[in-house]
Amino acid sequence: MLARTADNLYWLSRYVERAEYLARILEATHRVATLPVGYAGSTNEWESALSTAGCAAAFFALYNDANEENVTEFLTFSTANPNSIRQCFEIARTNARAVRTALTVEMWDAINGAWLEIKGFGTGSQTRDEIARFLRLVQESSLRYDGSAYRTMLRNDAYWFSRLGVFIERADNTARILDVKYHLLLPAQEHVGGPLDYFQWATMLRSVSALTAYHWVYRESLKPWLIADLLILNDQMPRSLASCYENLARNLDQIARAYGRQGPAQRQARAVRARLENSRMDEIFQGGLHEFINGFVADNNRLGATIARQYLM
Amino acid sequence: MRIRISHDTVYRYESPPAGVIQVLRLTPRNHDGQYVTDWRIDVSQECRLDSHEDAFGNLTHTFAAAGPFTELSVLVEGEVETRDTQGVIQGAVERFPPTLFLRETALTAADPAIADYARAIRSEAGDATLDVLHALLERIHRDIVYDTAPTHSATTASEAFALRRGVCQDHAHIFIAAARTLGVPARYAGGYFRRADGLVLQEAGHAWAEAFVPELGWTGFDPANGICPTDAHVRVAVGLDYLGAAPVRGSRYGGGTEALTVALHVDQATRQMQD
Repeated sequence: MLARTADNLYWLSRYVERAEYLARILEATHRVATLPVGYAGSTNEWESALSTAGCAAAFFALYNDANEENVTEFLTFSTANPNSIRQCFEIARTNARAVRTALTVEMWDAINGAWLEIKGFGTGSQTRDEIARFLRLVQESSLRYDGSAYRTMLRNDAYWFSRLGVFIERADNTARILDVKYHLLLPAQEHVGGPLDYFQWATMLRSVSALTAYHWVYRESLKPWLIADLLILNDQMPRSLASCYENLARNLDQIARAYGRQGPAQRQARAVRARLENSRMDEIFQGGLHEFINGFVADNNRLGATIARQYLM
Repeated sequence: MRIRISHDTVYRYESPPAGVIQVLRLTPRNHDGQYVTDWRIDVSQECRLDSHEDAFGNLTHTFAAAGPFTELSVLVEGEVETRDTQGVIQGAVERFPPTLFLRETALTAADPAIADYARAIRSEAGDATLDVLHALLERIHRDIVYDTAPTHSATTASEAFALRRGVCQDHAHIFIAAARTLGVPARYAGGYFRRADGLVLQEAGHAWAEAFVPELGWTGFDPANGICPTDAHVRVAVGLDYLGAAPVRGSRYGGGTEALTVALHVDQATRQMQD
């Protein structure tokens, strides 16, 4: 397969996953921001949303105030933000056009259909209802794309490169949520907040669509160390770091088998997977949760760069 | 190297037992230089395999098979991708500080003969722990003859050393006893070894030792082969001695004499990955 084809498939998946993630953050933030100040605490939820989306710096270059209107506009339709949802679908569609023959008809329909509908939202400012409708559309489009890839693609290198994109982006996103909100997950003694944090925790879990999953797995009220366990180590949780790396190691292994060669990308993915598999939450807390997350983010970025060097150039 | 393993352990009973309970330590874990691409356990009787982790971090599977039956087979099959790490273990589950592995057990107690042997080797090799361990590795490999006849699974290190004969389990126990005498934490490692001489059908799994070297961490030493573990070794379980890492341990209710046969194939997988 041409490196450029692999590159397009990989980034196509990454941008669709990124758009879905942004939509989830916005939904979750809308929810918590509508609570009275007494419940949610004094943090600026919109600023938090920007940090979780990884574009705080870019935002403050253009705007002064992180409020609902500015942040929503910046993350959804803004053409000045290269990672707004609209821009994500623009780039995704461009990538999809370039590898049209590697996609199935259903996948192309999913991407192109989403792009056309997003265009239909125009450029003016939107009401809350319209924003809600838009975010629903984005999530549904991402599910359609992902679902059609899973259901209709041949299991060959095209498929596995697409999957790599999904899981690298997903690991990146979960790590970033953990990074921004880690102080909410520290054990009780170090924990500054209190009952107000319930809404913060619920927001975190909603951003990764895990609020019900949490209760299913742990059958307890929200506890920060269990949330950390769910999002970092739990293999059952599809967005956890461990689960993402299980899939990354497996897909890289499939690619290695198909090509008869393996390299640093396979080794790095396996090493991170082994480390996550073999860790326990109390050991991570002992070593420092923030340090652990920083280490993971660095590893994840390194794997992305290694995959790019090994296959996409 | 991608290693394909098929390990069938078959128990045949003279008269059918009412039930058998077994704890299996047959599932390798991932760590630096070892990645399990495929692994499954199949027990010939209808039973549930409960998976747990033991104190050392080994993956265990427990089952209780209800009799009567005349034969019980535990088949393990899988594929592991290995990489040579010069014997150094990193990224593995470590539940205890190394000093726990200075503990003496019945199978690895060092009698005066082993203690003198170990001390003699140290005085020749110098003070550096790694040098001493390598000397120990080499000497045990040379001095203990590989012989399946005189020993069995309950033979202690001292007994095997007195005979100067034994199988890989005995080599490992002697190494561990000697290392601990010298104050070096050491433990037993069980698993599989892919032979370079092409012999695929083996009688048993392989055993070697691991010792804690101050600058490196836990490092493997395979005295039966006289080398440090390479990409031909698949590490499955560790323990203080054979009993802690035994592939199968169990009990049965009733049943007459039990005959055990092992059919083990360890080979390179047909599709290898160039590095």
